[in-house]
Amino acid sequence: MPAPPPNISVRNRRTSRLVNIGIPYFWLGLFFLLPFVIVLQISVAEPALAQPPYTALWQWVDEGLLRIEINLRNFMMVAQDDLYLSALLNSLQVAFICTLLCLLLGYPMAYAIATSPERWRIILLMLIVLPFWTSFLIRVYAWIGILKSNGLLNDLLLWSGLIDTPLAILHTQTAIYIGVVYSYLPFMILPLYANLTRLDLSLLEAAADLGCRPMRAFLRVTLPLSMAGIVAGSMLVFIPVVGEFVIPDLLGGPDSLMVGKLLWTEFFSNKDWPLASALAIMLLALLVVPFVMMQRLQQRMEGSRP
Amino acid sequence: MATLAERRSLEPWQDPKAVPYLRIDRVTKKFGDVYAVDDVSLEIFQGEFFSLLGSSGCGKSTLLRMLAGLEYPSSGRIFIDGVDVTDVPAYSRPVNMMFQSYALFPHMSVEQNVEFGLKQDRLSKRERSERVGEMLELLKITELRKRRPDQLSGGQRQRVALARSLAKHPKLLLLDEPLGALDKRLRESTQFELVNLQERLGITFVTVTHDQEEAMTMSTRIAVMDAGQIMQVDTPTAIYEFPTCRLVAEFIGSINLFDGKVVATEGDEVLVETRVGRPMRMRAFHPMVLGTPVTVAVRPEKMRLCTDFREDGVNQLKGRVEDIAYLGDVSIYRIRVGDGALVEMTLTNVQPRTEQALTWEQEVAIEWSPTSGVVLTE
Repeated sequence: MPAPPPNISVRNRRTSRLVNIGIPYFWLGLFFLLPFVIVLQISVAEPALAQPPYTALWQWVDEGLLRIEINLRNFMMVAQDDLYLSALLNSLQVAFICTLLCLLLGYPMAYAIATSPERWRIILLMLIVLPFWTSFLIRVYAWIGILKSNGLLNDLLLWSGLIDTPLAILHTQTAIYIGVVYSYLPFMILPLYANLTRLDLSLLEAAADLGCRPMRAFLRVTLPLSMAGIVAGSMLVFIPVVGEFVIPDLLGGPDSLMVGKLLWTEFFSNKDWPLASALAIMLLALLVVPFVMMQRLQQRMEGSRP
Repeated sequence: MATLAERRSLEPWQDPKAVPYLRIDRVTKKFGDVYAVDDVSLEIFQGEFFSLLGSSGCGKSTLLRMLAGLEYPSSGRIFIDGVDVTDVPAYSRPVNMMFQSYALFPHMSVEQNVEFGLKQDRLSKRERSERVGEMLELLKITELRKRRPDQLSGGQRQRVALARSLAKHPKLLLLDEPLGALDKRLRESTQFELVNLQERLGITFVTVTHDQEEAMTMSTRIAVMDAGQIMQVDTPTAIYEFPTCRLVAEFIGSINLFDGKVVATEGDEVLVETRVGRPMRMRAFHPMVLGTPVTVAVRPEKMRLCTDFREDGVNQLKGRVEDIAYLGDVSIYRIRVGDGALVEMTLTNVQPRTEQALTWEQEVAIEWSPTSGVVLTE
């Protein structure tokens, strides 16, 4: 049988490649790019008492006259008002500290799971994933019961005689840290675990053979080789925590203003969609920079692994 | 002819006064209920190229890992240079190991890999870079110094692994299947290189291999292991020519085995009656009691075509050529003899293949001399 003309198979391959690449692009376009464009458009509008509560981007004023209004006052407001700036900074700070805490807590846990015997691993991983079976909201709500002044934690500490007066944890920044670290720890552990199980243990043996004590071997071999997992886990924690709304709302106090909560207030209480959108865009811009940087770093790390 | 003193320096294990560099004293390693290494004792001397040979799972790698300090024996002691290192952790032992997988650090360049061990020794930067340069030079990989392991071929990685394990100038180098991951051609050239390197540096090498040819070419002595025990320790020649047990005989090369029992002894020779027919007369290295069940072992290349076949001749067999395997330099003939057993014989192809004397289904007579094989009692 004669071979089919090559151009057909080439065309077929092109089509299938187009489909393969096209589907995720279509998905991203529909659910990421389009909403983003809509939010961007709202951010340059003006608030109005209407449905929807903002002015349109363009308007036919007269025959042949199209008026496009781009209102940058929202951005100026966000940039100039200390409230927004401090909320943004506070969010970044909370996210940064929580990511660090998750890393410090999660790395040993992931390492322990990855190096535990096979039959234990499934059970331990299950325990990490198990909390997801309950609603996130309920789990955060449960922390109120633990942290409030006559809650479980204070009762325990008072009973044990460690303190005389109940600690005021609920509605403080500390409560936010506790809630965030608790909620986001699995997102740090899982990518780290996935990375650490791939670690070739003979590398650690080689390090020991070359005179490297276990602690140094960890710092010089394990840690650099798990950098990709650290970056992935940190991004999975840092990015959502910056915009976190539920935890600061339920556990935080008046002094712990986070940008997620502010967004909620602007959108739903103040009905100022354009300002809220401008804030959201600014937040996104702030996050994209570190994200791209970390992505680069990760690619470099991955590149050095076969 | 070498003098006795010279022979002793070449074969220190022959010298009762020689002090072993590495002494393994009744070492046993159990994993759960399984004996990976079972009561092994060995003495290895300075400058030896010693091979642990055995099929996979025979315990040879576990033994090597215990020498490196990557496993600890369940019982027994290990002495290196007279010092008991049994409980010394890997990072404090004066030995280095080349891993079977090479275990190169993927996040470091060739240079950094070789330098790794030197950094642990807190050598100055100048000393380190000198030593690294020396090692890269020695293994002819200087131009690869900036590459990462994933940018290297298998042979190059092997060299980097070797350079890294030699960088600390160990007195004892352990090599776990050093040539296992290389293709056949590269393996052969690397064998010689490895031996040259070992002789030049004067380091004691202990290698683990499952490849008997590799062990034969490179080693001063070989320990054949099976099921966690050492079956025989000897020079390659002795292992090949004078195996002490059936297992060693069968593991190294191919061999014809004839089961039988001793029916007479004449001087240092025994007469063995076997199932294949006429008695066989073989040299025995120690006296044997009449009636002892024994196995006569003769290698295929020790067989020759018999020109005067006598009905009462010893060490002679008649049969029919059943299989011929032409290997170029030699041909292997499988000959069906008396009781239906197959006997293997190799003949050098002195004449071109087309003019060979033997062909399929041909009746042939073969013979061998009493000194061409051994009598095995176990």
